[in-house]
Amino acid sequence: MSYLVESSQVVLRGGKAKAGERTNIRKHIGRTVFLLGTTSLLTDISSEMVSSILGIYMVYALGASPLQFGIVDGIYQGATAFVRLFAGVASDRKGRHKPIAAAGYGISAVCKLGLVVAGSSVAAIYAVIYADRVGKGIRTAPRDALISLSAHPKALGAAFGVHRAMDTAGAMIGPLLAFGLLTAAPRRYDTIWVVSFCFAVVGVAVITLLVRDERTAPANPPSRRAAMVSALALLKVPAFRRLTLAAGALGLATLSDGFLYLGLQDRMGFAPRYLPLLFVGTALVFMALAVPMGKLADRVGRGKVFVGGYLLLLGVYSSLLVPSISPAVLVFYLAAFGAFYAATDGVVMALAGSLLPEELRASGMGLVTAVVAASRLFGALAFGALWTLGGVGSAVIVFAVTLALAIVVAAAVVVRREVAPVAA
Amino acid sequence: MLRSRTALVVIVAALCAIGGAIYVVLAALDSRSEPTAATLAGKQAARLAPVAAGPAPKSVLVRAVDPKRATLEGRVYRVDPVAGGTPRVQKGPACLRFYEAGGRALCLTVARSGVDFRAEVLDRGGHVRHTLTLTGLPSRARVAPNGRLGAMTTFVSGDSYAAPGTFSTRTTIVDLVEGKPLADLEKFQVTKGGEVIHAQDFNFWGVTFARDSDEIYATLATGGHHYLVHGRVSTRKLEVVRDNVECPSLSPDGTRIAYKRRDGKPWHWRLHVLDLRTGADVALSERRPIDDQAEWLDNKRVLYGEGVDVWVAPADGSGRPQRFLANASSPSTQR
Repeated sequence: MSYLVESSQVVLRGGKAKAGERTNIRKHIGRTVFLLGTTSLLTDISSEMVSSILGIYMVYALGASPLQFGIVDGIYQGATAFVRLFAGVASDRKGRHKPIAAAGYGISAVCKLGLVVAGSSVAAIYAVIYADRVGKGIRTAPRDALISLSAHPKALGAAFGVHRAMDTAGAMIGPLLAFGLLTAAPRRYDTIWVVSFCFAVVGVAVITLLVRDERTAPANPPSRRAAMVSALALLKVPAFRRLTLAAGALGLATLSDGFLYLGLQDRMGFAPRYLPLLFVGTALVFMALAVPMGKLADRVGRGKVFVGGYLLLLGVYSSLLVPSISPAVLVFYLAAFGAFYAATDGVVMALAGSLLPEELRASGMGLVTAVVAASRLFGALAFGALWTLGGVGSAVIVFAVTLALAIVVAAAVVVRREVAPVAA
Repeated sequence: MLRSRTALVVIVAALCAIGGAIYVVLAALDSRSEPTAATLAGKQAARLAPVAAGPAPKSVLVRAVDPKRATLEGRVYRVDPVAGGTPRVQKGPACLRFYEAGGRALCLTVARSGVDFRAEVLDRGGHVRHTLTLTGLPSRARVAPNGRLGAMTTFVSGDSYAAPGTFSTRTTIVDLVEGKPLADLEKFQVTKGGEVIHAQDFNFWGVTFARDSDEIYATLATGGHHYLVHGRVSTRKLEVVRDNVECPSLSPDGTRIAYKRRDGKPWHWRLHVLDLRTGADVALSERRPIDDQAEWLDNKRVLYGEGVDVWVAPADGSGRPQRFLANASSPSTQR
């Protein structure tokens, strides 16, 4: 904690330093990014505590069928695509991003208490989970707009890197904490909800009390409909249209993490109970590389790093086409997968941020994340269909070829036409 | 301004930390006194007429089911199928799935913390000899007649939330003496009409052991089919015998298989008995949908779970089902 307080003072002093010089990363990134990172860290601890044990709770403690749970969760994930866009548009209309981002965090915090109240009613728990996903959908675009508006335009990649590294740290702490709590208080799942709520409340306190809003001129169109129209009109901006298209095409060819991990496990033949270690390994690499990749993106071009990340993913797909892999190769694949996340997750928002006018920043970011969320869901459904029709081997090959084509398209439309990030 | 807001955040964090810590400590103290297993207070087992032919069962072991919380693990009880009477509670842990044969039992249960599922291998006295961590949800458990091998099936789901309706099962043969997994059925060589077949969508479940404790039958699901497969653990080979047979259970004389058969509606099964010598197939008198692996009481009757009770029905399709014991499941016949 002392590190953060100290660093934010450095940031305050350094904010006036001349940009472009070889200066400390913190000076370019700004205190807001570290504070939003803190909120995300706390919120991710909170949400991953719950999601790591929600499956066993629903199935064991409440007797829900595992199939039912999987289906409902899938529908909920898809439903947030629209929320992402609406929230971005709404926050641009006001010209204020913090209230909407904070509301998103607040909804998810209240949901943790909702789990306590819902008790053993399966229907009530589904309703709470849905509200939680909506909260997540609401906060993403305004928060990423805040990050992009508060950081120096030349350090956008690094700023998103810092945020994603902190976010991922929370995602790793959450499950460990949940398992620790259940060991201390066996089967008292309510302690998970209560402690999760506590973390979420502190996260909300940090964003509402400490984060300074970056006001932009309100887009102020006459109606909600007009606001939506101007958001969609962003697609007429060639550079942004190309990015959205590329991100959507790449998202379409992205396999789910769970499937990749199962494939690796199958090819290495270790006990399935070690599967979570694959997640931890990937997250560690993501966390460690998020900032370096962001900085690299700022220096050599965000499009190059973004497309390069998908080349790494294509490399990871090759693991599914070989009969077996050794432990050393597994480490290589996990490193590549973590690096893929580090090179794409934050970098795509940095790219979007550099292309979007300030007054439509959140709308555009909402649009990109909505397109990516929808195309990933569609891709996953297509994968399921291909698997059923032609077997898993041909499904993987179709996805690998699609990804290779999407990379070529993305390289052509995003990298080749990439101009040096423009100062806003 | 900023300083006072920072102070406020610190206060909120402190209050949350203190409040959360108090709640955790109280819950930890309270959870020590919580009852964690279903019991069978005062339940009466059905008294069944003895039938001629075949080995007469000495007793039946079942696990108790709490009708209000069917997913809670239950204590194991011994029932006399001929004399009926009150079931006697057995030593050993409470289980979600249970099966005993040849002096060893397999108990699939949940860790005390409620974080994960595990399999416990019990000896004749109900003492835990070995513990294995399970991946997924306990579904089926069987022990070979000699008590040296066990088979367990778990549901592994949620791997791909975006492909609704897909699920996967994991069926493992366990060396009960050493307490170690011996083989995964997905690694067995499968032949169909003499040709080796393999697909990534292979799912196995519902193993049943023959009298030599090596020969097995099981279900293989692939490409929308539910095959009855037959083979040996020692050779790691299986062969497809027939389609639309799920959760086979071999009769004590080894001539017939009781199984559940899809009846057209999703997740809807009827109990059937297939004669392996003649291929004759009969539907049992039980007309309700049954999702359980049947257990032979003797060569003429099968036991199965329906709702929260164990039922018994004649194996030749005649007669009517009878309630064997209320609030119980996982019957295993002791011969």
